[in-house]
Formats: sequence, structure tokens, C-alpha cells
Amino acid sequence: MTVTTNPGGAFRPGFRTLTCLVLLAGSLAGLYLLDRQIEVFGFGAQGPDARTLPRIVLWVLTAALLARLAVSWRTPDVYAGPPRRVLRVLIVIATTITALWLMPRFGFFPGAVVAGISVTLSLGERRPLLVVGVPLILAAAVFLGGRNGLNIPLP
Amino acid sequence: MLFDAFLELMDIWVLTAAVVGIVSGIIIGAIPGLGPTMAIALLIPVTFSMEPIPAIILLLGVYQGAIFGGSISAVLLNVPGTPSSAATAVDGFAMARRGEGGRALRIALYSSVFGNVFSCIVLIALAEPLARFALDFGPAEMTMLMLFALLVITLFGGGSRLNALIMVLVGICAGIVGLDPISGTPRFTFGSFAFENGFQLIPVLIGLFAVSEVLLQVFEREPVATDAEMPELQSSAVRLVELWRMRATLLLSSVIGTFVGILPGIGSTVPAFMSYNLARSRSLESETFGKGAPEGVAAPEAANNAVTGGALVPTLALGIPGDAVTAVILGAFMLHGLAPGPFLFRDHGLEVYAIFEALLLSSIPTVILGLLFFRVAIHVTRIKPKHLLPAITILAIFGAFSVNNNLFDVWVMLGAGVFGFMFQRGGFPLPPLLIGLILGLPFEQSLRQALLTSGGSFEIFVHSPITVGLLVLIVISVAISAFLALRTSRNA
Repeated sequence: MTVTTNPGGAFRPGFRTLTCLVLLAGSLAGLYLLDRQIEVFGFGAQGPDARTLPRIVLWVLTAALLARLAVSWRTPDVYAGPPRRVLRVLIVIATTITALWLMPRFGFFPGAVVAGISVTLSLGERRPLLVVGVPLILAAAVFLGGRNGLNIPLP
Repeated sequence: MLFDAFLELMDIWVLTAAVVGIVSGIIIGAIPGLGPTMAIALLIPVTFSMEPIPAIILLLGVYQGAIFGGSISAVLLNVPGTPSSAATAVDGFAMARRGEGGRALRIALYSSVFGNVFSCIVLIALAEPLARFALDFGPAEMTMLMLFALLVITLFGGGSRLNALIMVLVGICAGIVGLDPISGTPRFTFGSFAFENGFQLIPVLIGLFAVSEVLLQVFEREPVATDAEMPELQSSAVRLVELWRMRATLLLSSVIGTFVGILPGIGSTVPAFMSYNLARSRSLESETFGKGAPEGVAAPEAANNAVTGGALVPTLALGIPGDAVTAVILGAFMLHGLAPGPFLFRDHGLEVYAIFEALLLSSIPTVILGLLFFRVAIHVTRIKPKHLLPAITILAIFGAFSVNNNLFDVWVMLGAGVFGFMFQRGGFPLPPLLIGLILGLPFEQSLRQALLTSGGSFEIFVHSPITVGLLVLIVISVAISAFLALRTSRNA
């Protein structure tokens, strides 16, 4: 992976900060929800219960993430790149989510074709035959091979 | 047992699986960006309907083939197919530029096979006694062992220790979702039945290593397999006497690869560079290193292939994966009913020894197929990501679905892929996450069982000589890591 620092020298959040913030939000939410999400039935046993390790791990994770953010503040972050790059990734994720969401209704084959086409387009392929043809052939091969060869009940 | 295991290999499907695995591995490994981890994760679903022995042999064949395949693009394009081939590229590409590409690839192939044979012998010699020893382990010993493994990957996994710690903790957190291992209470299931089984290993692996790679390539959209002019590949041969002259380098590199491979989380890149540096410092012609020294190709290739057997020692004997690839292989073993750990040799000795012997014997087809296919693999390096990655996407969806025949696993795979992309872009390593995910739950289970046994007293962790030994190892590891960190900060 090419790690490019933020141009200009000033601190601007990049991928490292973004990842830390997402994880921090997750760990704090985990700590907040811990008691509600994990019921403990005391049978008189001594020692840690079902909540103990998750609580310790989440606290240590929160502390480690705060330390990471503090250290990152003084060092250049991984440049997030031009917005169009992030947009491309978001489009692929959104299309795949749509394809998966529609899969129970329309089946594996169309869903896989849609996901394949979205990746092909996002990677810069513009020739219609390759944009549609490659995912179509691949999805058909995987669908038929999986269903008939490996007996997997694909939707 | 050994002979009975050998007889198990006398099956056309076993031979076919080995050949298909090695050929696929060589081709996949040659494509920059597609490592053995991704290849094995995507191929696991294909093995569902196979018997355990051919299935595992196929996947291990992919592993072996891919490590050698990675050297093809490293030598010819100066683009390492796998990270561990980066050291090979230094002298391999220099040899290719002066018209010795074929010779460099042959040296790489023979060195790979040497490293593999050496590590397989060590694997056969060490794994079963280690597993037998581990049969005496109780919950306290297992807790300390897993704590040691988690600590080693955090301290010595390479890169920032803080990032590795974060990833280990994220992995443990992901493992918490599901039913509590002792009381069976749902944890973070949000009332959903699907969450009660937790995150299955294979969909997470496919997401982390295949989907995240697709997203990374979409983000960067730079052709990894370059259209740069490839040096002409002339016919050449490597004489036995040349390899004999390198015997010390091959042996030392294999020793480094095997024993560093046994340590959890180090992977094959570190031993490859360690061996390269050692070969250079021992050489009488050290000035030729970096300019096309054959030993500069032999050393890293022997080392990174020797990691295969080394990393399988703790994976199979203790259920503790050595690196990301062996974590995937561990998942494959579990799916085929061969749960790695101390009981593996007792309950499935025949299958395990058959797999070991196949690993050893597969050196013969590796040489033959390597010589036959590296010219084919050269063309594979020219495949553009935009034509390859849609296939990976479709295979990833199929692979995740086929684990339990449900779409929940596909959603898990997508989520793991998105997080994998963010982690990789943010400079966070994935192997610690994987090891944390695999070891988190058994660690908690052993810890709580030990404390239940002792009535909540932590003294149980200093009662047996094994736990004390492991505790000493933990203290030594922390001390070494602190010393290394201090030395690095002083030199900076």
C-alpha cells in the first residue's frame, strides 16, 4: 500500500484517524450496550462472568485507540486521497449491498452479475462487451458450477 | 501409521488435488496482489464436497505453489506477487535484466523446494511430540499459551505495536459476538438468531483478504501488473554443483524460515529478508548482492517456503495459527472435521500424517509443474485487475454463501471487506486481527475454566511448571520488545 502523507503539512484527518474514530465509536457503543446486551445469571460461581472479558477488552481497546489518536496527532496521517477515489469505493459497496439485498428475490445470478459489473466499471473498463460479458460469463460459470457441481443451493 | 498414511495417498483424487493445487497456486501467486491467503480463502468452498485428505492437500498445494509463483513476477517484473517475494525481487530482477531470468526462476524453484522439504521434515518431527505434550495442558496452561501467542503477534508482528494491539483487540471483540462459551448467554446478538453463531471464520477471511483487496484496487485503480517490457526469458539450466555451492545458504535460510515460522504472527516476509541479509553478510562476494547474485534469490526463497512447515507446527499441534495463511488453513481443517489442537493427532493421526507426507512428496510435482508452468504464469502476470477482480467479487459472494448456505454470511463477508479496506488503508495489519478472532474465544473459555477450577484465585497460573515456563517466556518477550523499542528510539 502506498502511504502518502497529507500535502500541505497541516493536520487533516486521513484513513488512520477515520478508522480509529469508527473503532472508537464502536468500542464506546459496546461499553454503553454491554449490560443490556449480555445478561448474566449468577449461580454462585466465583471468577469472571460473561461480561468480564468483553468489558476489559473494550476498555483496553478504547484506551489503545485514544493513544493511537494522540500519537497520530503529531504524525502525518495516511492521505485519504481525492474524493472521487472514495466515491468509487462507496459506489461499489452500495451496489454490492443492493445486489445482496435483492438476491433473495431475484437470485444469486443477477445479483452476482450486478456486483461484477459495478467492480468492472469502477476499475475503468468501458468496453460494453467486457463490462457486461465478463461478469455474465463468470457469474454463469460460478452459478452452474456451484449448483450442479458442488450441490450448493444458491438462491 | 506412516505406511498406512502413505497408502491413503495412493488415490487418483489425491494426486489430482495436489496437481490442481500446485498449478493454481503458481498461477495465482504470479498475479501481483493475489496472495496465497486470498486464493485459499476463495478455494475453501470448492473443497466442501471433497474428502478431507484431498481437500487439505489441494489447499496446501495452493499455498506451496503460490509462494513460488510470487517469485515469478518478482523476478520478471520487479513486482512481488506476494509480500514475501520482495526480497527475491532485489537480485532476481537484476538477474533477469542481464538475461538470466530463467536461471533466477530455476534457482528460486529449487530453493523453494529445498526450504519446503526441510520444513516438512521439521513439521513431522516436531508437531506430534508437541501435540502429545500439549495433551497434558489444562485450562491454565492453555490460557498462558494463548496469551503468549497474542503477545508475540502484538510485539513482534512487525510495524507499530500499538496498531497490532488494536487489531488483536478488534479481533477478540469480533469473536465475542455470539453465545458465551461457558454460560451460553447471547452476547451482542441484538436479539438476532443469526448472530448467535457468531461471525464464521471463512466469510470473515474472504472479506478481509479478497473483498478488501477488490476495494483497495478500486480505490487505487493503478495497474499492478505493469505493461512494462519484460526481460527476455532465455533457456538456461542450473547445475547441481551450483546448488551444492549454496548448500550452507539454503540450509541456514531454511532453518530461519522454519523456526521463525513457528512463532505466531511473524509471517514469511521477515524471515525472507533475514535470510537475505545473512546470506549477504556471509558471502565472500557480498558486493554482488543487489546486482544479481544467485544466492540473493536462493536465500529468501528457501526461507519463505520453509515458513510453510514451520507455521503449521503450532497451527496443527496447538491450534494456534502462525500467520494469516495458516489461519485460513486452520479454518479449512475445522470445516473438514479435523479440529487442529492437541487432539488432532490422537483422533485423526492417519489423515494428518497423510497430509504431511503429501506435503513432503509434493516437492516432486512442484519442481515438474514449476518448470512447465512458469512460462504460462508469465502471461498470467499480464492479466489486468479490471478483468480479474470481478471474478474475485463473484467468487467471494459464492464462497461466503456456501459456508452455511445463507446470506447472513455474505453480509458478514461484505462488512469484513469494508473494515479490511479501512484497516489496510489506515496502515493497520490484518494478521493480528485474525489471530485475535481465532484465539479470543478459546482464550476466554480457558481463562474462565481455570478460574472456576481455582475458585477465582489467580494462583492457578503459577502452580504448574508449564504455566511458570510460559510466564517466563511472556516476561522475556516483553523485555526483548522493550529493549528493541528503546534501541530503535535511540538510533532514530
